[in-house]
Order: sequence, then structure tokens, then C-alpha cells
Amino acid sequence: MARSRDVVTIPMSVDNAGGTDGPVTEEITVTVNGEDVTAEVEPRLKLSDFLRYECGLRGVRVGCEHGVCGACTVQEEGLTVKSCLSYAVQADGAEIETVEGLADEDGSLHPIQEAFHETHALQCGFCTSGFVMATKELLEANPDPSREEIETGLADNICRCTGYQNIYEAVERAAAKMEE
Amino acid sequence: MSQSQPTEVDTETDADSERESFTGQGLPRVEDHRILTGRAEYIHDITPENCLHMALVRSMHAHAEIVGIDASEAEAHPGCELVLTGEDLRGEYNPMPTGIETVTTDDGEEAPIEEWSLAADTVRFVGEPVAAVVATNRYVAEDAADLVDVEYESREAVADGMAAREDEVVVHESVGTNVVDHERLEFGDPAAAFDEADHVVEGEYSWGRISGVPLETAGVVAQYDEEADAFDIDCNIQLHTLVDETIYETLGYDADDVRVNVPADVGGSYGTKIAIHRYCCLAAMASQQLERPVKFEEDRVENLQGGDMHCSERDYRMRMAVDDDGTMCGLDVWFVDDFGAFPRYPVNQVLKPLSVLTNSYVIDDVSYEYDLVLTNKTSQTAYRGFGVDPHIYALEMIVDDAAREIGMDPTEFRRRNLIRPEQMPYTLPSKNLYDSGDYPATLDRIQEIVDEERDGGLLDPEIVEAKREEGKYRGVQPSVIIEPGVSGSDWTDRQRSDREDLEERPREEVDELPEHLRATVGEDGTITAFLATDSSGQGHQTLVSQLLADELEVLPSDIEVDYLDSVDAPTEYGSAASRMAVMLSGATVGVAEKLVRNLEAIAADHWDVSADEVTYHDGVVERVSTSETLLLADLAAIDADGDDHRRSVSYNYDHPATELEEFDEALAQKLPVYPTAAFGANAPIVEVDVETGEVEILTFYTVRDCGTMLNPMIVDGQAHGGIAQGVGAALLEEFGYEENGQPQAITLFDYLLPSIENVPKIEMEHTETPSPFTETGAKGVGEGGMIDAPASIATSINDALEPLGLEAPADRIPVAPDHLRKKIRDRER
Ligand code: FES
Ligand code: FES
Repeated sequence: MARSRDVVTIPMSVDNAGGTDGPVTEEITVTVNGEDVTAEVEPRLKLSDFLRYECGLRGVRVGCEHGVCGACTVQEEGLTVKSCLSYAVQADGAEIETVEGLADEDGSLHPIQEAFHETHALQCGFCTSGFVMATKELLEANPDPSREEIETGLADNICRCTGYQNIYEAVERAAAKMEE
Repeated sequence: MSQSQPTEVDTETDADSERESFTGQGLPRVEDHRILTGRAEYIHDITPENCLHMALVRSMHAHAEIVGIDASEAEAHPGCELVLTGEDLRGEYNPMPTGIETVTTDDGEEAPIEEWSLAADTVRFVGEPVAAVVATNRYVAEDAADLVDVEYESREAVADGMAAREDEVVVHESVGTNVVDHERLEFGDPAAAFDEADHVVEGEYSWGRISGVPLETAGVVAQYDEEADAFDIDCNIQLHTLVDETIYETLGYDADDVRVNVPADVGGSYGTKIAIHRYCCLAAMASQQLERPVKFEEDRVENLQGGDMHCSERDYRMRMAVDDDGTMCGLDVWFVDDFGAFPRYPVNQVLKPLSVLTNSYVIDDVSYEYDLVLTNKTSQTAYRGFGVDPHIYALEMIVDDAAREIGMDPTEFRRRNLIRPEQMPYTLPSKNLYDSGDYPATLDRIQEIVDEERDGGLLDPEIVEAKREEGKYRGVQPSVIIEPGVSGSDWTDRQRSDREDLEERPREEVDELPEHLRATVGEDGTITAFLATDSSGQGHQTLVSQLLADELEVLPSDIEVDYLDSVDAPTEYGSAASRMAVMLSGATVGVAEKLVRNLEAIAADHWDVSADEVTYHDGVVERVSTSETLLLADLAAIDADGDDHRRSVSYNYDHPATELEEFDEALAQKLPVYPTAAFGANAPIVEVDVETGEVEILTFYTVRDCGTMLNPMIVDGQAHGGIAQGVGAALLEEFGYEENGQPQAITLFDYLLPSIENVPKIEMEHTETPSPFTETGAKGVGEGGMIDAPASIATSINDALEPLGLEAPADRIPVAPDHLRKKIRDRER
């Protein structure tokens, strides 16, 4: 039977008090979905791992860790970035938004999320956070994109399940919803 | 309960006809909300308290002896808790089960092929794990893994399936040959057919190594419980109730002591994750040594180079016997499948094509022969289509070549040989049956669509001519292609059976696995169904809530769908081989009938009346004489007070072929049994740039039939996804290898997954020919696009380049730019 669990964060940050043997660390403060998170981290800690394990934001998915699949896409200072390609220390002082920041407190979905649901633009869902975030950036810059513009806007994200057909529909429907 | 108002007595039929059926509607999925908000829990998200993390040391050699392993520095590294090597496993655990347990050597001995979770003496492919390192987190584990010093003595490798047949380099010395399985099957009288035909056409085609490459890699969290001497293993393995034996046998425990649990959300599998048991075993072993939970998350490079997850890689030699009038008289299929270093469970991928041996054509006399060959590459797993995709591709290629040979229009040639609707159900020479369908009508419809494009559209002769002048060649060549659905289970160990005996095997010995489903009524009146299968994006929770809502006359939202782990569930087959639409249809009907009977019994006992004085409808049981009703919640509460537990039921739905005499012969002889035949015809309009060799698909038309559609939205999604994977296979993807066995595709920069820019617009139409063999008329639908799209793209490329007079330009999958350019250059010389 499926067991449910609370989110457990893994200690990726390092307690370095007084020691000289431990790894070099740096204190960073990142604003994540509107909240300040301060942590002592190794410089090599990827932003994706920081968000997943330090902040418990599992909607940040990791599919390749080399910048191709886009599953780890988040917004940093309002622009999408692949969080597997940068380090947490580089985000010091920055504002980050992840898919967890989209829905309202009461659980009601953002129009982009609604549109993905209504058009069956997700199957396994592993790419979905990334696509939703990429769509958000696209529609913020271009509220009424053509098919070609959708293609260009989402070309850095891979979906292995849907064949993209319904993702076009979702973006168009989200655009219409956000227009209202 | 929103549907629990009692209706009038004796109006069951009226109520039925008024009730809108949920099955057949494109209901949005119940899975979506948790995924869209980032709350879905995939395996990578599971990290228990006190969990350690594992990294693997992997071979960089394709073939080498391990001279020694020095782990002392790694063990001394701060945060490192354990290093396991191959030696540590011997004695304490077992080798992993393989698809072919022994090979008969030249001396007549049965030599075993042993695969251990960690190599001890010899490494046989780049990426093969040689040590497991466990530490406080993955970063530290990788640091320590870097400190493990492995000394190798490198040996010559073989990385080509055809070359491996020569046995100059042998992958497993103990068995003395790389050809570890071979079979030749004959149906009808192929020799006579080839003798008598007007023409014999021959062709060689090859299918490169591809695979599913889900976006989520493998993952496992294993926890050993010392007190119980048992394991809890959370992982994203596919078919966890069927292939759990690959885990518990390796650990040396009973099935009941190894609880394999798959999260409700798995980030894609497409067959590939059936073979991630190595990771499950290693994490479990480490957890047992350390008595702490151990987690392993495969990274993408590991996954691509040594993740035991590549799929079919075949060289075909096809022959077709044809008469001048365009009759296909005989077919001769010969191929080599390069399985990599170990023949794992999916060895039966070489046999599944027998279920669609002649595709949509009537050909009575056929031979089918294969060599299953080992090389120094990572092992094969299953992938959507399970070996049928290359077969259909090679068959459609020889059909193109035969049409050219006899000078007949390739569509007309195909049409003449199609199985006709009045021949349904149609028995193939290889004994499987096609259930229903009008193939000629499907070909006519796709041809109509193509003809419309010829009239002012993408294929208008003037446009085609003008484009050709720019060096862009357009073309399309449809054919009708079958998707075999709902695999039986009994045949899948044919390679492990004595094949000589199968001819005489009695039908009674056939042992099929059912689909298991449970349902229980909660005290709040909601119903929870429990699936024994795992899901990876197919929407099974939605599907079961739809089906069960109809059976129980409630709303889908009154039904929750949860999952059983491998201990709670019986051994059953699960999600593979386009099974679930059919198997869950049957299982739902069965479980609902049982539940209704029990609910009626609870009510009858409560009122102290006989069972025929009560009737279930719309989520209530009604007492016929008084119109009193008991709601589901009431019934659950009454049941909870007693000891009978009648509000919980389980049901095993038997495979549909077991009920049908027509399948007896195939079943008894362990020939692939797939009782549903979904079908379709594609018309991908391709444009080939002869300067660059690049292929663009302008529009992908498709006419498809998977019987009754249970949820048309999900059906469309399955077709879209399958076709997109077919596009990738046909044009982009390949796990290439250097001659020395070094892999060429170890990142997603090299293994090219189709992006939104590569997948064309898919224009889809459906027909619905119900299957007479299944409960709802549904046929399997999961694999179709991946089975039919590559063949259709390849035949369309052949058509586009027809004016250049090239022979079968698409004779290799993927039809990559360099391949086409070479073909074009060779002709120009
Ligand atoms: S995980 Fe970052 S792009 Fe794939
Ligand atoms: S929904 Fe599975 S990868 Fe996109």
C-alpha cells in the first residue's frame, strides 16, 4: 500500500563551526517563492539540489543535470534558468520562483496549470514543472504567441510522453485564460 | 454521495439508459493536480530519516579483467560509510536471474551465464558497476567513489552484432559463443512458396540501438529491517509484482520478505524500467550491511551508458516471394539482435513479432529465424513495442522493394494483399489472432487524405515540382500497421523452455497470470480501489475511477485509486504490452460484481431478508418491498461491526485468450498470444533536403482504431506520445558505439530526444471497431505509435527519393542525415 511521507530535507548544507578539515562553505540567502532561506552551503552545491533538498521543493525535477531536458527549470529574477546548470552560491541574494509558488494558498491552480490539466498536456508529469515555468516566461513576454513562437519558447524543454501536441493546446488555452 | 437518491423500484434498465456513462468520455485526470502543483512524490523525492546515499564505480573499459580493487582511500574518506565490491557479494548473495540461464556449449555441457550486481573478475561493458560506495550524501559518495582504485587489464572487445557471431572475441568465455539463443520457425511451406513464385526479392535493413529514455532516471530507497529480517524497497521498477523475483532471488530471500513498492507517480518508463533490479539489489545489500536506509538515484550519464536500458538493435535479411499479379506468396525473416553483455529478461523481444508476423497482409508461408547475440555493450531492456517496431519496419521495407521489383504502385500492392474484414477474426500462420477491423477501409481513408493534399495541398504536383528544384523532395507512403495488444504471460519464457517439447505440450499446462484488483468501501461511503500494477503516466487512476463509477453507478469522484506493493499483491503481470485498457476493463467489471453482491448481502442480513429482496443501484442497496435504502456509508458501518469484512473484495481477471479456444494452439506451443489487434495507417508527409540529408515531417496524418475508447483524451495522448517516440527513432536517436566498445551517446547532447521543434503536427482520426474478445470492446493502445511511426516515416522517405532512383534509401534506422547523404553521394558517383 502506498506509504505517504513528510518531506524530509537532506543535510546538503554543512555545519562547519570551528573546524578546518570540513569543506569550504559560504552562507547564502535566497528568496524562494517569496520566503528568505539562509543556509551554509558548499560552493559546488547545485541550485537544483539546493531547491530540492535544502528547501524541500520537489517540484524542481532533475532529468539530466546537463542542461538539455529542462525539467529543472525555475525562474530566477523573473527569467527561466535551468537550475541544474548553476550553483546555489550564484543565487545568493536572488529571487527564485518554482512551480510550488504558482497555485494560490487555497490550492486553486494558476491558469497555466489549469490549462495543462484541461488539455491533458501531461502524462508522467516529470517534465511538467519545467514546461509550466517555461510557459509562464513565454506568456509574460508574449501574451498571444503563435504556434511558431510557442515552439521557440518551449524548445529547451523535453517531454518524452505527450508528443507536445497537447502542450501547444495548453499554452494557447492558458494565454486565453490569462487574457480574461 | 451525490447520486444516492433512491430511484423507483424495478427501473434498473431505465436508470441505466438515463445514466450517462463515464467510460468513453475524455475525463480530465485525477493524477494531474498533485503533479502540477509540485506535490507529486516520485522516487527521487523519497528520503527517509537517517538515509545514506549510494554512488557506483563503473568500468570505463568495454572488456577487461579486474586485476585488483583498492578501496582503502575511499573508505577513509570522511562521510564514507561503506564500499562494496563484487567479491563482497559472492557468498552472501546470488547472481541476478537472467533471461537465458544456460547455454549448451560445443561439448554438450550446460554452461551458466552469471550476472552479478557488481562485476568481480571481468567487466563486459562500459558502465558496468564494479563497486558501490555509500556515504552521507550523493556528493560525498561520488567523492569517495573517485577514490576507489580499480586496476584493469584490458581485453579486446566486440561491439557489432554481426561480427560477434564469428566468436573471435567471446563475451562470456565460459559459454564459448556469443550466439546464446537461436530459433528457426516455419509456418506453412515457405520453401515451396519461394520455389513457385514469379519473383524473389531480397533486402537488408538495420535498426539502430534506441530506447525509451524516460525523463526520470531509475531510483531506489532500500531499508533493511533486522528484526524482521526483511526488506522494504521503494523504487520505480516497472511490473513490480512480476519482476520482483529479480530482486528477492538475488538477495536470497523469499518474496514475502522483500516488499517492493512503487510510488503512484513514476516519471515515464515505456518498458525500460522493468530492468532496474541491479540498483534495487545493491541498495538493499548496502542497507543490510549498514542497517540504515540507502538511496540510489541514477544520473543521466549512468543511465545512458550503463543503465541496462538500451533496446533492440537488429540487422535484418528479408526475402519476399511475389507473383506478377502482386500476390505476396512467401516471407522469410532472418535477423540478428545484439543484446549487449547479458541476455536479460526481455530476450522474448525477438519473439513478439510473431504476434503480427505478416502485419496486415495475407501471407501463408513464412519462416522466421533469429540469432540472439551478446556483445560488449550495456544490456537490453524492454521498450514500447517490445521488438515489434523493427520487425514492422523491415517488413514494410521489403514490401516497398517488392513493389518496385514487380513495377506495381506500392499502395496498390499493399491493398491487394490486405486481410479483408470478412476474414476476421483472422488466424496468422504463427497462430495468433487478429480480432476485428476493416483494413482496406483504413487504407482507403488515409489515401483519401493524401489525395486531398495532392490537390492544392502539401503534395500538389506543382509545389512538389517547385520544391524539388530547390533540392527538397516530398513524399508519403502509407500502410496499415497492427499493434498487438494484451500479451499473455505464459509464452514469455519460451527461451527458457525445452522448445522441442512444445509441439506436444498439452493445453492444460498453460498458466496465465491474471490482473488483480481490489475495492473496499470506506466508512465515509467512498470507494477505494487498489491496483496491483504500477503506473508511469498512463492515467490508470483516472481510468479505474471511470470504469468503476459506471459499474457501481456512482461518480468517479467517489472513488479513490491506490496501489498495492509486491507483498500485498499477488504475482501478476501488470502494465506492459498494451494490456491495461483491456485487463482493467475486465477486472473492474469483476470486482464491481463481487462488491455489489456483498453489499446486497450485508443489507439483506441487516434487514433479515433474503438476498433477492434487495437490489443495489446508484450507490445504495434498496429493500424492494419497502423502498428503504442503505447508503454505502451505512453498509460500511454495518459491516465494520461484524467479522465478515464483506465490504472489501478482490478479483482476478483472467487473460481474455484463456477463455477462447482459438488461442489454444498458440498458448500450448508458447507462441506469442496477443488477443487484440489495434491498427492504423499513417501518412507522414516528409520533405528530404538532398543537400543536407535532413528529413522534415510537414504533417503527420494518422487514422487509428483501438476498439472502444475508454477515455479518448488518454487514447489520443498515448498515440501522440508513441508517434513522437517513433519520430525520434526514425530520424534522431541512436546509441552508437566505437568499434572498441566505447559508447558514443552518454549525454542528451548525443542521444537526441525529439523536442517540440522535431515533432510535427499530428492530425489524427479514429474509427472504433470493438474487440469481440474483451469486456468493453477496448483493444490495447499503449504502444501503437512507436510500432507504426518509424515504418511509415521510412516508407515515406523511400517514396520522396523515388525520383532519384535510389534503392531503399531508408534501409537503416535512424534515417540520419549522414546516412541519406551517403546514399545520395554514392549514386552521384
Ligand atoms: S535537469 Fe536541468 S536541464 Fe535537465
Ligand atoms: S509528461 Fe512525461 S515527460 Fe512530459
